[in-house]
Amino acid sequence: MGGFGEYKKEIMNAAHNERIRLALSRAIKRYRANVDKALKEFPQTVELAEEVREIKEKAIGRMDQLAEQACQVIEANHGKAYIARTAEDALNIIGGLVGSGKLVVKAKSMTSEEIGLREHLEEGGNEVYETDLGEFIVQKLGSKPMHILAPAVHVPKEDVAKLLSEITGQELPADIEVLVATARKLLREKFFNADIGISGSNVVAAETGSLFLIENEGNIRLTTSAPPVHIALVGMEKLVPTLHEAWKVAEVTWRYANYTIPQYISVVSGPSSTGDIEKVITYGAHGPREFHVIFLDGGRTELARNPGLSQVLYCLRCGGCLYECPVFGVTAGHFGDKYFAGIGAIWAAMITGDREKAAALAYTCLTCGRCKIRCPMKIDVPEMVVELRKLLVEGGLS
Amino acid sequence: MSKKSKDLIPPGLAYVADNIISKHNLLGAPGETGARWAEKLNLPKEAETIFFAGCGYQYNDSLQSLMSLIRKLDKSPIGAELPMGLAGFQKKLGFDPAQVYRRLTAKNSDSAAQPLRDAVKVLQKLGVEFGYLAEDEPCCGGLLHYIGLEKDFVRNARNLYENLKSHGVKRIIGIVPSCTYTLAELIPQHVPGYDLEVKHFLQVVLEGIEDRELRFPREVKVAYHDPCQLSRYLGLIEEPRRILRAVKGIELVEPEWTYGEWSTCCGGGGGFEVVFPELSQILAVNRAKELVETGAQILVTHCPGCVMQLEEGLKALKARDVEVLDLAQVVAMAMGG
Repeated sequence: MGGFGEYKKEIMNAAHNERIRLALSRAIKRYRANVDKALKEFPQTVELAEEVREIKEKAIGRMDQLAEQACQVIEANHGKAYIARTAEDALNIIGGLVGSGKLVVKAKSMTSEEIGLREHLEEGGNEVYETDLGEFIVQKLGSKPMHILAPAVHVPKEDVAKLLSEITGQELPADIEVLVATARKLLREKFFNADIGISGSNVVAAETGSLFLIENEGNIRLTTSAPPVHIALVGMEKLVPTLHEAWKVAEVTWRYANYTIPQYISVVSGPSSTGDIEKVITYGAHGPREFHVIFLDGGRTELARNPGLSQVLYCLRCGGCLYECPVFGVTAGHFGDKYFAGIGAIWAAMITGDREKAAALAYTCLTCGRCKIRCPMKIDVPEMVVELRKLLVEGGLS
Repeated sequence: MSKKSKDLIPPGLAYVADNIISKHNLLGAPGETGARWAEKLNLPKEAETIFFAGCGYQYNDSLQSLMSLIRKLDKSPIGAELPMGLAGFQKKLGFDPAQVYRRLTAKNSDSAAQPLRDAVKVLQKLGVEFGYLAEDEPCCGGLLHYIGLEKDFVRNARNLYENLKSHGVKRIIGIVPSCTYTLAELIPQHVPGYDLEVKHFLQVVLEGIEDRELRFPREVKVAYHDPCQLSRYLGLIEEPRRILRAVKGIELVEPEWTYGEWSTCCGGGGGFEVVFPELSQILAVNRAKELVETGAQILVTHCPGCVMQLEEGLKALKARDVEVLDLAQVVAMAMGG
């Protein structure tokens, strides 16, 4: 039981960490109040979520086809598009595009976390900056994200002050405004000096090849528009057929992610272009000259064919379930692998293929089912977790 | 090299599963010990409607002792894995450490089975005719399903159905949420022609108490804790509250967010407590805290696992003036003892 024993030790250390528990209990309270308010102000969201579930159900069955379609449209629109069958393929494609000795700015992306993109690029001799504030903190702490949307949910402001003081060589107070301004200053020059900007996407419309990016900070806008090259890594489950459907998915995502109204929604469909001089279309006006989209399969199409587990692909990554998980509430992302909590166990089994890790996570799920009540897609996590245990124990997983 | 599939089951769960498969109850105890609570009740064994008592309440005292031992081990440098892993191995050699733990730690009373005696009393007062299979009552095997041992679960389910049919059972009144859900929802998926009607105790009570005067012996503030399997699985959320509201002297209070379908798990779900005894205790404390903060003097719930967890939580919080009661006990008290 070496693997399980170590995992248990890690999770118990987290459970005894008062700071994690304090940070999370505050976050959970705020999350519930915010979502409650968002759903009261926009009550149509609940019905919209039901519609989105139907959209996702249909789209997941034909991810391959949608990816092909999106690739054609993006190429026709002077971008470059790729389908990566495995994480390794994706790393090779992006590694090849980036090369070495480059300055790279990154928007937060769980998919890049899934394949270990930052580490890969760093090993390739590049300097990579996470630009989402929480992710930047986590990167500089040498830690890993503890929530899919709020990666530094477990770090109190005093610890952030200490970290940024070390980086800047100045004694900074634990004043959140000062800390945010410091991070802004640190990252500003990186955006404009970067050779490459890397992002993910919340949802992609196949018919126009448009990537939707939801955020509050503005770092995604800068990452995807200031550098001369924009590379996007997108899990194939993010594809839906039309632009209208993509909007619906986006709206439900941000509302359950407790952004009543997100400050920015970027829709990116190709490289920057202008036809203002003699109507000659020229690429690389004010935005990137190059636009690359990598659609990652990485086990998703196989997962889509597994009737007991395919609903995991409906996940919008709003993160709501995590706030409702009693175990996550005391251990944060330690109850997880690349993705967290009960639903993270399915991803661990099917995407990263680590059976021991998947089993450890699967047996950490209480199967209490509160996540399902929160989930806008009504994903039945306990049912999937039990199915996964069965597949692991009875040897049904390839 | 990948591990053998069954080795992926954490030792605590493998041990419990083995008990269910070989001894037909969670604890691996002889069947007659489970039925001891009903000795003086003279319930008929052959009846079309049976009361299904379930392992949770029947072996509650022993389970409590075992859990407290596992928790102590889990906090010690030894950890709970090794002894639990050994338990399975030693059993094969004819030595059952659980037996030893039980002898060492068993209390003489079977107070934890009080909810069962009270439930029986309530049903009798309501004029419901029913029997009890006593030592012949099979384990529902639900935990096998949750552990992932689906083949064993299906085998157990089919045997259970045969067994109940051979006793002439047509209707079941369940009380343990997890057993009731297993009997009502999981087993029918695997037994062709399953024709047993399953109701939960609460549903039977609610049908029967309409014009009865219910009065609690004193004025109390009560917070109700929803067991996951009762609320989110069986959908019985309003029913227990309607019963509690019908009792004079009881003022029902709820935590701010975490009640009904949003109720927080006590930390004892699906065998979690034997895999993560210490973490399970932390969750029990968290849940007990949410409920105590309502100002309630009594925490009422309706699941042997939840009762055990909440009591554990209160102990850690040193909330000595708050007690835990099972809803069956409350109804019995409200009907006049």
